[in-house]
Amino acid sequence: MTNNDDTKTARKTVLSTADHHLQINQLSVLRGMVLVISNLSHQQNAGDICCLTGPNGAGKSTLLRAIAGRLPAAGGDINCVVPIFYVGHTNGLSGAISGRQNLAGWAKINGFSATENAIDTALSSFATNRFADLPVRVLSLGQRRRLALARLALAPANSLWLLDEPNAGLDQASSRILDDIVQKHATAGGMVLAATHLDFAAAAKPRSLHLPGLET
Amino acid sequence: MKPFFSQIERDLLIAWQNRQDIGVMLVFFVIIIALFPLAIGANATVLDPLGVPVIWIAALLAILAGFDQLFAQDVRDGWLDQIALSQLGLGWYALAKAISNWLTAGLPLFIMTPLMAMMLNIPPQQWPPLLIALLIGSMGLTLLCVIGAALAEGARRGTALMALLILPLAVPLLIFGTLASQNDRGIISPHLMLLGAVFALLLALAPLVAASALEIGETETGL
Repeated sequence: MTNNDDTKTARKTVLSTADHHLQINQLSVLRGMVLVISNLSHQQNAGDICCLTGPNGAGKSTLLRAIAGRLPAAGGDINCVVPIFYVGHTNGLSGAISGRQNLAGWAKINGFSATENAIDTALSSFATNRFADLPVRVLSLGQRRRLALARLALAPANSLWLLDEPNAGLDQASSRILDDIVQKHATAGGMVLAATHLDFAAAAKPRSLHLPGLET
Repeated sequence: MKPFFSQIERDLLIAWQNRQDIGVMLVFFVIIIALFPLAIGANATVLDPLGVPVIWIAALLAILAGFDQLFAQDVRDGWLDQIALSQLGLGWYALAKAISNWLTAGLPLFIMTPLMAMMLNIPPQQWPPLLIALLIGSMGLTLLCVIGAALAEGARRGTALMALLILPLAVPLLIFGTLASQNDRGIISPHLMLLGAVFALLLALAPLVAASALEIGETETGL
């Protein structure tokens, strides 16, 4: 509990000195000919964890992809002043090569240090070392998820993490590790926006952004 | 530049794991060349002038055949999302793809060509112009195929669409390439220079066209 209180005070100090690091104004996004998100506004500051909730098809993944710049906005604008890291429901891992090779390749195309040590540390953040040298195609869904999330250990402290169902398929131990890493990231001044149906970083009391869907 | 070479390294690692694909492509190349004499018949006066064009047609088809999956796997894996957010950018990514693909398809074909030239009884003094022209031509074809693969990405029946898009555009490469290969007076010929010009144009255009095609294809169809 004391740990939790520390987290909160740290978040407050960061908040008082920062502007909105992520600012979404009146955003509308089309998917094909369907308006999936209309007139959405949202702000997030350094140290904020936000859970994106809503029924299937409410536009959670669409919003994350729009913020990541992978979908154009039909109206409104998105401003983000910090680097963005996205872990979508596709993990971004090639099945032909090992998890370690995948992670090292990802680190290098982002300009991060890909020394043996740095990669090992990142892999151990989700306890993936045991299967990191196997080709990804033989791994289970949860194991692939953990390899994809191990990237977060390499992301800089001030970044925005966009996580699409990060804890789907994870076992309880890995979910706890994820909660832990997310809280540490927020304490260090990072931001997290996660679409989820499950408990996510509950101890940090995340904010919630509810997308109602457009059927009603 | 480091992210650029890392992308090539990653593609080569993946290609090494799928190295049987290279073997399949080479066998395809050899079979097409072997089929021509069988269809035309054992008549040396007809067959002799056909050697160089046959090699070019076979190389064109073999390179084209390996290309429909160029971007598909990366899109399915979500790797393209990671590329778009990284320092690399889609243009450099497309160029890296072209280079790694040439190394795993064009280069093996190129190495195989002297053997095919022997099989088709092409006189040895014609080998240097043939090899030089085929080297430049295969690089040009690879760049052309990168454009086609990016444009056809996400479309149903992408393979057929890509062939329809690419084959007409490959005509200049084919004309200048075969003429340069059949030059009797040394390696350098006007046709080789024109072939080089087409290659230089493609080198400048292909990454840009492929990047915008990938950008539009991804954002319009989505996942």
